[in-house]
Amino acid sequence: MKRAIPLLFVAALLIGLASQFSGCAGAKGGDAASKTYVKPGEYDKYYAFFSGGHSGQVYVYGIPSCRYLTTIPVFTPEPAKGYGYDEETKSRLGGFTWGDAHHPGLSETDGDYDGRWLFINDMPNARIARISLTSFTTEEIFGPIPNLSAAHACPFPTPNTEYVFAASRFSAPVPRSKASKIEDYAKDFNGIIAGVKVSSEGHMSLGFEILTPPFDWDLADAGKGPSHGWEFFSCYNSEMAFDSLEIKASQNEMDYVAAVDWRAAQKAVDEGKGDIIGGVPVLDPNKVKGIIYLMPTPKSPHGVDVNPTGEYICASGKLQAEVSVFSFKKMIDAIAAGKFDGEKGGIPVLKYEDVLEAKVPVGLGPLHTQFDDKGYAYTSLFLDSQIAKWKVGPPWNVADKVDIFYSVGHLMTSEGDTRHPTGEYLVSLNKIAKDRYLPMGPSHPEATQLIDLKSPKMEVLYDFPTYPEPHYAQMIRAEKLKPLKIYPLAENKNPWKIMTAEEARVERKGKRVDVYMLTIRTHFTPDIVRVAQGDTVYFHVTNLEQDQDITHGFGVLFSSKNTQVDPGETKTIRWVAEKVGVNPFYCTNFCSALHQEMQGYIQVSPAGTPIASLQRPDPKKLEEVIALLKK
Amino acid sequence: MSYLGGAFSTAERRLILLAALVLLPVFFLPVLPVWHMKLWAPQYREGLTMSIYTNTIRGDLDKINTLNHYVGMKAITPADFREFTYLPQALTGLGICALLAALLNRRWLALLGWLAFTGFAVVMFADYANWLYHYGHDLNPRAAIKLPTFTPPLIGYAKMANFKVLSFPGAGTILLGIAWALGPIVLLLERRAARRKKAAVS
Repeated sequence: MKRAIPLLFVAALLIGLASQFSGCAGAKGGDAASKTYVKPGEYDKYYAFFSGGHSGQVYVYGIPSCRYLTTIPVFTPEPAKGYGYDEETKSRLGGFTWGDAHHPGLSETDGDYDGRWLFINDMPNARIARISLTSFTTEEIFGPIPNLSAAHACPFPTPNTEYVFAASRFSAPVPRSKASKIEDYAKDFNGIIAGVKVSSEGHMSLGFEILTPPFDWDLADAGKGPSHGWEFFSCYNSEMAFDSLEIKASQNEMDYVAAVDWRAAQKAVDEGKGDIIGGVPVLDPNKVKGIIYLMPTPKSPHGVDVNPTGEYICASGKLQAEVSVFSFKKMIDAIAAGKFDGEKGGIPVLKYEDVLEAKVPVGLGPLHTQFDDKGYAYTSLFLDSQIAKWKVGPPWNVADKVDIFYSVGHLMTSEGDTRHPTGEYLVSLNKIAKDRYLPMGPSHPEATQLIDLKSPKMEVLYDFPTYPEPHYAQMIRAEKLKPLKIYPLAENKNPWKIMTAEEARVERKGKRVDVYMLTIRTHFTPDIVRVAQGDTVYFHVTNLEQDQDITHGFGVLFSSKNTQVDPGETKTIRWVAEKVGVNPFYCTNFCSALHQEMQGYIQVSPAGTPIASLQRPDPKKLEEVIALLKK
Repeated sequence: MSYLGGAFSTAERRLILLAALVLLPVFFLPVLPVWHMKLWAPQYREGLTMSIYTNTIRGDLDKINTLNHYVGMKAITPADFREFTYLPQALTGLGICALLAALLNRRWLALLGWLAFTGFAVVMFADYANWLYHYGHDLNPRAAIKLPTFTPPLIGYAKMANFKVLSFPGAGTILLGIAWALGPIVLLLERRAARRKKAAVS
C-alpha cells in the first residue's frame, strides 16, 4: 500500500504529461483533417512555391492539402527533368552545379501576384533566375551580377515587376578582383545594392548599383501604395567586423534599414552619374544624393516587411523581442525636412524616433512578418518557436500566439506580401524538424506547418516535411495560373526541330555528327546511328507527341547524358564517341505500353573507318513510320 | 401526270423554302459537324472526340491515330477522303434544287430533289459504313497488338479492346434530317388539303 502511493503519483504525472503533449501538438484531430482534405482527382486552392535552399531548386506544393506537386530545377542539374544535361539548359547553368536558392518572388501587377513568373535568387553566386509559370521551367538566369558578393536581399519584386533587387550579404572589395587585405575591411570593402530591371517580357538587365559601407545586407521588400517607388533593405554588421561576426557584429544597439528611391537611382545612372566599376555604373552616395537613406533599427534586424497598404515598414530586430514599425510618411517628412543624424558612407542617417510609428512586443527572436486581409500581421519568433499575431495600428497589441515545432524562420501567409492578402492560411517554415517525423537518420528534412487563419485563433492544421532546405515560400491562388499542358509543335522555333520522318537523318561533317531524331510512341527515328571514334555527336530530339504527359526521355548508356523531351519540344544532347563498340540509348521516361521497346543503338567504329556522311533510316522501316505520322 | 405538273399552295411552298434555307447555309459553309465519334479509355476518361464535317475531320485525330497504331489501324487522314471534295457541293446542289422548286413552284422539281436527296443519303451512309469496315479490317499484320478485325459502330455504343465508343449524328445531320422530313410532310399536307376540297365539293 505504501508503494502504491508513489506509483499513483507517477501515473498521475504521466497522464498529466501526456495531456500536455497532446495539447502542444496543436492540431485538433478530425476537424483539422477536413480542412486540409482535397478529394482524389480534385485540385488544391493554392500553389505554394518553396525555395529549395542549397538544393538550388524550387519545390511546388498544393495548399491546403500540403501535397508535394513537383520540383522545378533552377540552379542545379536535375536528371529527373533532364535539366542541365541538354545544351541549352547546360549553358543556362553557366558552369555552376549548385546554387543556394533563398527567396521566391512572384511577379506582380498593381502590387498583387499576376501569375506570370517566379523569380528566385542564388545567394552565393549572386544570380537571379526567372521561372515561367506557364511552363514551370527556368527560362532565364541573370548573373553573377558584377561587384556583388552574394545576393541574400533578393529578389523581392516591385509592385509592377519593374525591378528585382540584389544586395551583398558578404561585403567584399569592389570590384571583386581588387587585391585587398582583409584587415582593411572598413575602408577597402563595400556592400552593393543592385536594381535589376525586368522588361515586359521578363528579361532582366542591370539597372543600377549603389555603393554602400561594408554592412551585411540581409533582406528586402518593395514599397507599395504610397511607398511605391521605394525598396527597403535590412542589414546587420554595421560594426563592420570581418571576423568573429557572431560576437563582433552583435554589439551595436542599432543597425539599419536602408530605403532606396529606385526611380531616382535609375535616373542618376541614366544621367551618367555612376562610376564604371567592374564594367557597370555604380552610384557613390558620397557624390550622388537623394537615392538612399538609412533608418536606425535595433539589434541586427532580419526581416523588413511592408504592410498591404504600404504605410508601414516592419523591421524585426532578431536579438530583441520587438518589431519596430516605421511610418513611410514620417520617413518622407524627415527627409523633406532634412532631419539627419550624420551620414554613413555618404548615406544620410535618419533619427529612429523621427520615423518610428510603434514598437510591438511580439516575443523573442522576431524574424519575418506577413499579413492578412483583416489588418493583422504575423511575425515568426525563432527563439520562442511561435507565431505572433498582432494588430497593425493602435493599440499595436499582440492578439494571439501559436506554438510551432521548431524554430520558425520565414513564414508565408496566403498572398501575404501583396496589397490584397487573402487571410486564409499561414505556412510556418521551421528550421528544425528534430522528432516530428518517422526517424530517417541524422540528416533531417525541414519541418513545415500549415496554420488556419480563418478564425480569430490560429490553428495548426498539418505537419509536412520538405526536402532541404526551403527558406521562404510564396503561395498564389491556383486560378491565377494557366500552365501549358503540352508545347504546341507549331510554336516550336528550335532550329533543330524536324516534323516528319522523311527529315529524320544523321549528318556527318568532319568529326561533327548531327542526328535529327523524332520520338513518338514508341520509337526513335532514326534508331540506328553510325559514327566513328572521336566524333562529337549532337542528338537533336524532337518529341512529336501532342498528348498530355507523354514525355520521352533520351538516355545514353555508360554516360552522363540523359534528358527529357516534353511533348512538342526539341532538345539537343552532346555525346562524344570515346570508345569503339556499340552503345545503346533508350527512352528513360515511361511513355506507353511499348516503352521497353523504345531504344536504339549507336555503332562506334574505329577512327578512320569510312562513315556515310548522310544516313537515313531503313526505307522499309521509314515507310511504317511515315504511315503512322501521316498528317 | 397532271399531279407532277402541278403547283403548291402557299403553306407547302414555304415549307420547301424552309428546307432550302436549312440546307443551303449549313452545307454551303460547312460549319456544323455531321457525325461524331467519342472514345473513352481508362487513361482518357475525359474522352477523345472525332468530328466529321462535310469537308474535313476535326478533333483529337493525332491522339487517336497514335493510339490506333498499336493495333495497326491505318491513320485517319482527311486527305484520304474523296468525299470531302464533293460533299459540300452536292448538298448545296440539293439546296438549290429545293430553292428553285419553291421559287418556280414546280412540284416535279421538288419531288425530283427529294428523291435525289434520299438516294444521296443512302449512298453516303453506305459509304460511311464501308469506311468504318475498312478501318477495322485492313489492319497492319505487323502491328504490335494483334486484334480480331472489327467494325466501329455506325451509330450507337460499342466496346472495343480497352475503348468504349459512342457514335452519333451531329447538328448538321439533324438539320439534314429535318430538311429531308419536310418532303413527306408537304405530301401529307397536300393530300389532306385535297381530301378537304373533295369533301367540300360533295
